[in-house]
Amino acid sequence: MNAQPFTSESYSEDSRERAWQEVLGGFGLQSLAGRAALPSHATAMCRASSLGVRLGRLSAEAQALRPVASRPGPGGAGLPLLVLPLEGGSVLHTAEGRKILGTGQFLLGPRSGDWQLQFPRGLRALVLAVPADVFRGRKVAPLHLVQPLIVDPEGLPDVLARTIEAAAQALDRLSEPEWEAVAQSAAEWLLALASERAADNVDTPSGRAALLQRLYASIERNLGSEGLSVSEIAQGEGISERYVQKLFEGTGDSFSHYVRERRLQRAWHDLVNPAESAVPISEIAYRHGFSDSAHFSRLFRERFGLPPRELRRREADRQSASVSTGGHRGWPQQALVRLRALQGRVEGGERAGAASGRGEARPAPAHAPLHHHLAVDASTVHWGYFSRSLKPLIEIGSGDAVTIETLTQHASDDPERMIRGDAGAESVFHWTAKAKNVDRRGAGPLDASVFGRGAGEGFGVHICTGPIAVRGAEPGDVLEVNILDIEPRGSRNPRFAGQVFGSSVAAWWGYHYSEFLTEPRPRETVTIYEIFADAEEPYAQAVHAFRWEPQADPFGVRHALYDYPGVPVDLAGVTLRREVLKGIRIPLRPHFGVIAVAPREADLIDSVPPAYFGGNLDNWRLGKGATVYLPVSVPGALLSVGDPHATQGDGELSGTAIECSMTGTFRVVLHKKADTVGTVLTDLTYPLIETPENWVLTGFSHPNYLAEFGANGQSDVYNKSSLDLAMRDAFRKVRRFLMTTKGLDEDEAIALMSAAVDFGITQVVDGNWGVHAILAKRLFEP
Amino acid sequence: MTKHHLPATPETVHWGYFSRTLAPVLTLKSGDSAVIETITHHANDDYERMIAGDKAAEEIFLWTGEKKTMRRRGAGATDGPFTYGSGEGLGVHLLTGPIAVEGAEPGDVIEVRVIDTWPRPSANPAYEGRFFGSNPAANWGFQYKDLIEEPKPRESVTIYELDMEEAAVKALYSYVWTPQTDPDGIVHPTIDYPGVRVDHATIAKKEGVLAGIKVPARLHFGTMGLAPAEADFVSTIPPNYTGGNMDDWRIAKGARMYYPVAVPGGLFSCGDAHASQGDSELSGTAIEISLTGEFEFVLHKKADLPGTVLEGLTHPLLETDDVWSVYGFSVTNYLAELGPDPQSEILNRSSLDNAMRDAFRKLRRFLMTVHKLTEDEAISLMSVAADFAVTQVVDANWGVTGTIRKAIFAGRAGG
Repeated sequence: MNAQPFTSESYSEDSRERAWQEVLGGFGLQSLAGRAALPSHATAMCRASSLGVRLGRLSAEAQALRPVASRPGPGGAGLPLLVLPLEGGSVLHTAEGRKILGTGQFLLGPRSGDWQLQFPRGLRALVLAVPADVFRGRKVAPLHLVQPLIVDPEGLPDVLARTIEAAAQALDRLSEPEWEAVAQSAAEWLLALASERAADNVDTPSGRAALLQRLYASIERNLGSEGLSVSEIAQGEGISERYVQKLFEGTGDSFSHYVRERRLQRAWHDLVNPAESAVPISEIAYRHGFSDSAHFSRLFRERFGLPPRELRRREADRQSASVSTGGHRGWPQQALVRLRALQGRVEGGERAGAASGRGEARPAPAHAPLHHHLAVDASTVHWGYFSRSLKPLIEIGSGDAVTIETLTQHASDDPERMIRGDAGAESVFHWTAKAKNVDRRGAGPLDASVFGRGAGEGFGVHICTGPIAVRGAEPGDVLEVNILDIEPRGSRNPRFAGQVFGSSVAAWWGYHYSEFLTEPRPRETVTIYEIFADAEEPYAQAVHAFRWEPQADPFGVRHALYDYPGVPVDLAGVTLRREVLKGIRIPLRPHFGVIAVAPREADLIDSVPPAYFGGNLDNWRLGKGATVYLPVSVPGALLSVGDPHATQGDGELSGTAIECSMTGTFRVVLHKKADTVGTVLTDLTYPLIETPENWVLTGFSHPNYLAEFGANGQSDVYNKSSLDLAMRDAFRKVRRFLMTTKGLDEDEAIALMSAAVDFGITQVVDGNWGVHAILAKRLFEP
Repeated sequence: MTKHHLPATPETVHWGYFSRTLAPVLTLKSGDSAVIETITHHANDDYERMIAGDKAAEEIFLWTGEKKTMRRRGAGATDGPFTYGSGEGLGVHLLTGPIAVEGAEPGDVIEVRVIDTWPRPSANPAYEGRFFGSNPAANWGFQYKDLIEEPKPRESVTIYELDMEEAAVKALYSYVWTPQTDPDGIVHPTIDYPGVRVDHATIAKKEGVLAGIKVPARLHFGTMGLAPAEADFVSTIPPNYTGGNMDDWRIAKGARMYYPVAVPGGLFSCGDAHASQGDSELSGTAIEISLTGEFEFVLHKKADLPGTVLEGLTHPLLETDDVWSVYGFSVTNYLAELGPDPQSEILNRSSLDNAMRDAFRKLRRFLMTVHKLTEDEAISLMSVAADFAVTQVVDANWGVTGTIRKAIFAGRAGG
C-alpha cells in the first residue's frame, strides 16, 4: 500500500474531527480533544504493509491519545503500540498516576486498557502498530503487557526508534518492496522488545519488576550525589543491600556498573548540548557525581573512546559548520534549543517610544465608518516580526477605512534617495553609534546572542506598520482587508524631488544563490530602480546597481552578507554600475508583500514565512481593488501592513521584488464567525484573495508551520521548503473551497480543477514556499 | 507555399509513442502549411457521441476479437503475453503524423505556427454537428492518492459538450470507471490502456454534474513535438526537449512553438487536443476532444540561429504576441539523463521543485543569450518581471513554465 498523506485542511470544519479520528483509528487509537474551539490542525503520513504493519507520523494540536479498546478483545490483538514522541514533555496517565516521558523515550502501550498519553504542547509523534497476524503461524511468546511501559532509547529500543524515525521520514519515497522490508524488520524488533519486556513483567515473581523499576528511579534521582551507594538505595526501599545486588544480577548487570553508566551517559548529553557549552567540564563531572575530573575524563574516554574535551570541540565544530556556509534564515535549530533551555519568556511588546496616540483613534458609534490615518515613524512600526503581544496603535471599527503609510526595509540600500529628508523614514532608520530608534529587527534575541548580527538577529526583515486592533474581532472570525488605493512614496530629498525609487536585492536567500554561472561566486547584487507611476503605462527602470560589499553598521558590526535589515549602505564603498537593464521597462504591479494578522502560536514570529495568518504573501495580485480575507487568531485581530512592492514576478526569484515605500488605503470589515456560515468565508483557515475577476487561494509548503513543527517551527520551515508540498496544499484548499462554498462533490471539484483552475508559483524565497490557485469567478456566472 | 491536408486515418496516425523509425506520412517544405486532423484517445469514453458515425474514428478505434486496427498503443512490448495490451499503454496519445520538413537536420530548429484550431463534430445523427469531450480524473492524477470521499481510490470520467458560440464547455454527465474487459479478454480495472471502449451498460451515469458552471474554452493541442533521437520508441507521456506532451493551453491559435530538431526531417506529430485545461492539469487529463488544426512550418537552419531568439535553443520555446515562455521539466532531457531505463525511471522523478530549477536556468540562459543581459541583470529581471507557473503535475516529467513579456524589451536596442 502506498503512503497515505492526511491533512485536516482537506476537510470542512465539521468533518475534520471525524477524519482525524479515522487516521488514529487505523492504529487503534483515539484522540481526546485538548482545547477545542479554535480550528484544529492535524497532519499525518501513514503507510501500512501488506500484512498490516502500520507506521505513521502524526502532527496535531495539543491532545491526548488513548487506545480505542477498553478491554482486550479480538480487535485489540497484536503487539503493544509503540508511540514515539518527537519532542519531550508528553505525559503518560495511568491508574497509578502520571509519568513524564523524557526526550528520546518512547511508550509501549497495550492495545487496550485504561491509559492515555497526553501531548500538552502539541502532538508530534510516530506510531507503530503491529497486529498479531504479522507472525501468523509462528510461536510467539505470550505478550501480557498489562501496563504501558516507558522505554529508554538504549540498545534495541534505540535501534528500533531510529529505524522508525528514518522510515517515517522516507515513508512516501520507499518503494513497495523497500517498505515491506522495513515494516517487517520493525515488526520483528518490536516483537523482540515486547517479548523481553513482557517477560520482565511476567516472569519475575510478583512485585520484583516493580521494585526494580523503583530502584532505577531512585538511582536516577540520586545520580548527582557523589555518595550514592547500594546501602543508601537499599535503605530507601527498606530491603537489604544483598537483595539489591541480587536484583541487579538478575538483569545481567551490577549496581555500581549501572550507576556509572548512567552518570557517564548523562554527562555525555550535557557535553553535546549547546546550551551547556559554557559550563566547565569539571562542573558537569561534579554534577553527575564525579568529584575528580581527571578520573571522570579517564572513565569517559574508556566508555566513549574520546575525552570529554575532544567531544565538545567536535560538537562545536559540527554546529558551526552547519551554519557558517552562506547565510542562515530564521532560527538555527541549536539556538532554539538554547532558548527553550533558558525557559525565559520571550520579550514581546517592546518598541521604540510609547505608541499610544500616534494614530487618530476616535471613539465613535459603530455605524459611522471612519477614516483613520496611520503615519509611519519609529513608534508606529514593528520590524521583522509579528506578535500577539504588541499593543495596538489604534482601534478601528468594522467598515472603517484606514490609510497606512509603509516603508520598505530596503530604503537603506540608497539612503540618499529613499530616506534623506523624509521625517518618517529618518525616524525609523535612525541609527548612530549611540542610538538606534528601532532596535528589534526580527524575532531573534534582543542581545543578538545567536549570530551577533543585531537586535532580533534579522530573523524577519519587514518593516510593518501597525498593529491595528479591530473592535470586536475574536479568534474564529474573518477579517476582510480591501485595498482601496496604493500610492508610492516620493523621495523627500530636494535633489530628487518628485521622483520615486525602489530597490531589488538578489540576495543570499534568493533561489539563484546556489548556482551562479559567472564570477565572483556567490555574490549579492542590489539594483536601484526609479518608479514612473504616473506614466500612461506605469513602469520601473533601473538606475544603477552594485555588488554588496561588507558593510559596517553604526554599532560596528560587519555585515558580509545582506543579513540584517536597515544597515545603511555606504555608497562610497561600492562600485556603481550605471548601464544596467538598459532600455528595459518593467510594468508596475503595486502591492503589499505583507498583510498580516497576529498569529496565535508564539509571542514573536519571524515575518518572512507566510502562513495561515497571511504575512509575507508576496503575491502581486494583492494590489488596488483586491481584497484579502484573513482568519483572526487573537482578540482584536492585530492587523499589520508592510513590505510594499512596486512590482514583482510570480516566483520572486532573486529574493526580493522592487521594494518601494508606499501608502495604502484599506477598508477593513470584520466578519463574525457566525455570519460566515454559507458564504465563501465559511471555515476559512488560510488567506483568501479576491480580485474583481478571480478567487486566489494560497497554498504553502506548510500551511501552518507553527503548529506542524511546534517549537522548531521557526527553524524547520526554512529547511523544508518545497513546491511539491505547496502544490499539494493548494490542491486541497481548492477542493475544499469548491466543496464547501460551491456545493460540489469531490469528483466535480477535481474535474473543475483540471479543466479550469490555474496553479501558479507565488514565491520560492520565503522559507514557506507558495503555490496559488486562480479560480475565475465567471465560471459560476450564468 | 503549399497548403497540405492531412486527415486522420489508420495510415496517418500512431498511438502512444514518438519514433524516429516512422516513415513520414507527409513531407513539406519550410513555409508550407498543413491542416491536420486529430482524434482524441479518450473518444471511447463515450463511443456514441465521439466515434459512432465518424468513419475515420470508427476505423482507428476498431477493436474486436478478430481485428484491432491500431495494435500498438504505447512504447512498450509488442510481443505478448501482455499485462495491458500491445505497447502496454506506455504512452497513450493518438497522434497524427509524423510530418517531415525537408532539409531539417539535428541542430536546426523547427518553428510551428498555430494558425487556427477547430473542433471535430460528432457524426452520429443523434448528435450531429455537436462537439463532445471527456475528462477522466485518472489514476495518474495528482488527486488519486489523496481523495477524501469514498470509494477510495476511484476514477471519475466527466463528459462535456463544447459550445462554440459561447466559447464555453459544459459538463453533461459523469461516471465512475468500472472494470472494462477489452475484446482480447484483458480486464482493465483502472484506466491503464488507451482506447478501451467503455461499456455504458456497466456504468452508472450521474446527471446534473457541475450544474450551472461554464468553463471558458481554451482550444489547444496538448501534444505537439518532434521525434527524439535517443530511442526508437518513446512514450508520449513525459514531455521532453523535443516537445511532446507539453499540456500548456497557451500553445493555441496565434502561438509559435520552436522545437530543436533531433533527427533528420524533424518528424512532427500532434494530437491530444483539449477543449480546455487549467494550469496543472490536475486530475490527469484536460477536457479531451478531437480538434483539427492549421499549422505553418518554418525551418531555421543551425547556421542562421545566432542573433535570433533561437540562439542556443536546446528546449521547446513558446512565442505569442505578448510573451516568450520557456519550459522547465523535472528532468531536462530524461531520455539522456536517467540511465538504462529512462522511460520507467522518469515515473519516479516527478517534482515541481526540480522543474522550477530547470525553468529558472532556461530563462536565465534565454535572457543572457538572446537579450544580452548580464547574469545579475537576468536575475533581477526574473525576480521582478518573469512569472513562473505550474504547467502540469501529471505527465511524469512535471512542468514549470517561465514567462517573460516581450513589451519589456521594446526600448532596448536590437530588442
